[in-house]
Amino acid sequence: MANLKNLFRKTEDILPEELPAAEHTPDVPAGVWIKCPKCQEAVYKDDVVKNSYVCPKCGGYFRMKAKTRIKLVADAGTFVPWFEDLQTKDPLKFPDYLEKLEALKEKTHLDEAVRIGIGKIGGIDAVIGACDTRFLMASMGWVVGEKITRAVEEATRLRLPVVMFCCSGGARMQEGITSLMQMAKTSAALKRHSEAGLFYLSVLTDPTTGGVTASFAMLGDVILAEPGALIGFAGPRVIAQTIGQKLPEGFQRAEFLQEHGIIDGVVERGQLKERIVRLLTWHCREVKLFAPETEEKIPEPAANTKARRRGLHKNEELTAWDRVQIARSSERPTSLDYMNRIFDDFIELHGDRAFRDDGAIVGGIAELNGVPVTVIGVQKGKTTKENIFRNFGMPSPEGYRKALRLMKQAEKFRRPIITFIDTPGAFCGMEAEERGQGEAIARNLMEMSDLKVPVLAIVIGEGGSGGALALGVANEVWMMENATYSILSPEGFASILWKDSKRAKEAAEVMKVTAADLLKLQVIEGIIPENHPADKENLAEISEYMKQKMCGFLTKYQSLDPQKLAQQRYDRFRRM
Amino acid sequence: MFQKILIANRGEIAVRIIRACREMGIKTVAVYSEADADALHTQLADEAVCIGPAASSESYLNPERILSATIASKAEAIHPGFGFLSENPKFVEMCEKCHVAFIGPSAEIIQKMGNKSEARATMIKAGVPVVPGTKKPVYDVDTALKEAKKIGFPVMIKASSGGGGKGMRVAENAETFGEMFRLAQRESVNAFGDDTMYLEKYVGRPRHVEVQILADKFGNVVQLGERDCSIQRRHQKMIEESPCIAIDAKLRKKMGDTAVRAAKAVGYENAGTIEFLLDHTGDFYFMEMNTRIQVEHPVTEFVSGVDLIKEQIRIAAGEPLSVKQKDIVIRGHAIECRINAEDPEHNFRPCPGTVKELHIPGGNGVRIDTALYSGYKIPPQYDSMLMKVIVYDKDRESALAKMRSVLGEVIIDGVQTNIDFQFKILNHPEFRAGNVTTHFIPEHFDME
Repeated sequence: MANLKNLFRKTEDILPEELPAAEHTPDVPAGVWIKCPKCQEAVYKDDVVKNSYVCPKCGGYFRMKAKTRIKLVADAGTFVPWFEDLQTKDPLKFPDYLEKLEALKEKTHLDEAVRIGIGKIGGIDAVIGACDTRFLMASMGWVVGEKITRAVEEATRLRLPVVMFCCSGGARMQEGITSLMQMAKTSAALKRHSEAGLFYLSVLTDPTTGGVTASFAMLGDVILAEPGALIGFAGPRVIAQTIGQKLPEGFQRAEFLQEHGIIDGVVERGQLKERIVRLLTWHCREVKLFAPETEEKIPEPAANTKARRRGLHKNEELTAWDRVQIARSSERPTSLDYMNRIFDDFIELHGDRAFRDDGAIVGGIAELNGVPVTVIGVQKGKTTKENIFRNFGMPSPEGYRKALRLMKQAEKFRRPIITFIDTPGAFCGMEAEERGQGEAIARNLMEMSDLKVPVLAIVIGEGGSGGALALGVANEVWMMENATYSILSPEGFASILWKDSKRAKEAAEVMKVTAADLLKLQVIEGIIPENHPADKENLAEISEYMKQKMCGFLTKYQSLDPQKLAQQRYDRFRRM
Repeated sequence: MFQKILIANRGEIAVRIIRACREMGIKTVAVYSEADADALHTQLADEAVCIGPAASSESYLNPERILSATIASKAEAIHPGFGFLSENPKFVEMCEKCHVAFIGPSAEIIQKMGNKSEARATMIKAGVPVVPGTKKPVYDVDTALKEAKKIGFPVMIKASSGGGGKGMRVAENAETFGEMFRLAQRESVNAFGDDTMYLEKYVGRPRHVEVQILADKFGNVVQLGERDCSIQRRHQKMIEESPCIAIDAKLRKKMGDTAVRAAKAVGYENAGTIEFLLDHTGDFYFMEMNTRIQVEHPVTEFVSGVDLIKEQIRIAAGEPLSVKQKDIVIRGHAIECRINAEDPEHNFRPCPGTVKELHIPGGNGVRIDTALYSGYKIPPQYDSMLMKVIVYDKDRESALAKMRSVLGEVIIDGVQTNIDFQFKILNHPEFRAGNVTTHFIPEHFDME
């Protein structure tokens, strides 16, 4: 390497006179650059702002001021803040506390760590609140607790939904036990709001911890979180110190919470407003009823001539065992295949709020011809990898508990429920027993019997035993022509009764497992015809037929009195 | 005047700018990538700041890192050179926000001229001739033919979604137009599923002639004559000269005045180039405006005697132009050859390497702009241009003779260069006669 650097004469060495001092040096006005919390790079603030406060380089999320946060979701010019003049009584007379608050108020232009008030989101009136970490880590003292409580009480009085953007370090140490009591106070106000049948949406942002997590943050009818947000009760540092272990990557992050069934979903900041508007629309508008049934005749799915030419069986010739095979076929459309074709705007909601999000059960809210419905289905995979995630369509207790949670949510908001059943049976394993598989199924049977909304169950493939029935306590149960529904698998039946699982084919015939058999036995009310075993070729026409039939079902049941609905369901099983 | 300037570039142009600064008594800050720690610009500048890894996107194209270096080194201005961030309006906007002077036009003008249709519309408004064409898309032959007659033959038929020559045809006259239109449209429908067509006057066998302008903050605009840059390989210029021998004093004045009018129309500031297509009849059409200093600026410096980089710096510092139009007299003839590290025998593939032995010729009217030195290892990540050889003499013939002599003396041992190919062009009878168009290389050299 040639070292020319030391040989070249510098500019000042070649000049006859000394250089004058610089007239001005660049001075960067504050705020032109900000450091990304994730990639640590300096980024141009304008770019970050335009990108909803997400780093344009690495996608890292910036924490947002409460004002900006509300601006991001509320319709322009609609937000009016409430209760901005509350003063803490400083219960501990904590040294320098009041001075510190004053200084913070001046610095942040906030009156306290939460900003809450009334505004519109997508044209819908709502009480909107947002915490601000710049104010003592958005810790909850008396003022925060009081503002939220009063706002929730107002929302109850005005019959408005509440949308809360949470973030907090937890309780405010400077206010001691008074601070702790805010947890109970806010939760109590939310209980009344919920009992009034009103909607509470909680959005967890980075970081949501401590007493806030253990109160209003976790009480949403729907709980969403931003990607990567730290969410937990105890802080990760405290946990690591207590247990003396290094915590795994991603521990207590939003995605971790979704996986563990605690929150409904993780939503990118850019999509947040759209998602909130959608959820508010479904939960705050008048319950929409179907128009009276039209006389229009619904065409049955046409025969698939191409398939016939390939020499496939005509359905009439199929044996029960053939249908068992068809119902189990990996070619057969899954719950999500039907859901995506029949409904609009399906939003999946995750988790049982307790242990884990079960991949074998999918559930959420969608629209059927403009009417919001709760849809739940057992989901099988198409590939080995998918099947491992879906546990081959064998739900765990947490799956049934997720389903029940969503059904209860549907009942609260008077939404009809449609379930899709396609399971070889409830998951048989040690973990399932440890968490009470039997209890979970039993609970569903009991609670579903008394739901005050219409419930429709459709067996689309395998209807395996108690694992199927746990989604099948409905006002009507339909089966697809080649679906089966049985006490257990023909193999199991043969093995128990004849000690020979190889006689499964024979068992299938005597068990009465086909749709036609069960219609005769009055176990089901309807059959969805398949002129050719359902696959991706006739999926569209079968879905269309199912959709029209569903509309008919809703027209018939949605106008029924809630008590009558439950009674009808009671009677339906009472006679069996 | 600035006391310290940061040069946001590398290679010979960075060295060229550092030299101008030294002459003006301005301290310099070089920025460099990890691959350029030993580069000449890094060593020649008074200070040097490493701004990241070899990849341009992580270093020379990273506005944040360059601005951080500027602020840390307390430089008052940034000279962007050409390429990299020189025509990036967002970078200019960032400089403005950080109170750093950007040596070039405003973000707004860069934005405006960078957008082809907006630039075209601006030029039409300013009365600058553009290649005539249909303003609206055409779909059927009859309407198209009417439009074609208005434009005048020959006409270029272009598919709106076109690319790679697909959906493109030249109709020489009205008789063949119908067939050509149908052919082009069918091709477009087949290739892009789109039957939207445009028509444009076909400028056959054009020269690429560009006019250099300078404009200060006080509304003074001057033009410094033209450069003929017709010798191009795949839109990469290889030889540039000034003046262009195909134009006379009258046309020269007309093109110059037009360029000044164009610059004034957009409120231009700093150095810029208006590129024209010039056909054999002497009609010329606006192509685009380059809002930066150009590689071939030395030929203009030779014939006009004006140091363009120094003028750029003066303009950015808020000083008026040091020359008036009447003082600018184009004298003699200058030619530039670009020497690249590439192998003409193998489709001009880049050949980086280490410079073992280097001899840089000199003499009267000889200028060599390069960042090479003996022992320099050429990093493979960047442009392959090694050196610009520029000669000046009283007329084209003498300048050509000088170029041959100088090129024959250049030694860059250890690296494959295109010098032999440059000789082939210089010695081609058509080139010597000055009969060049932008098709010169594909027409006379069959290498691709």
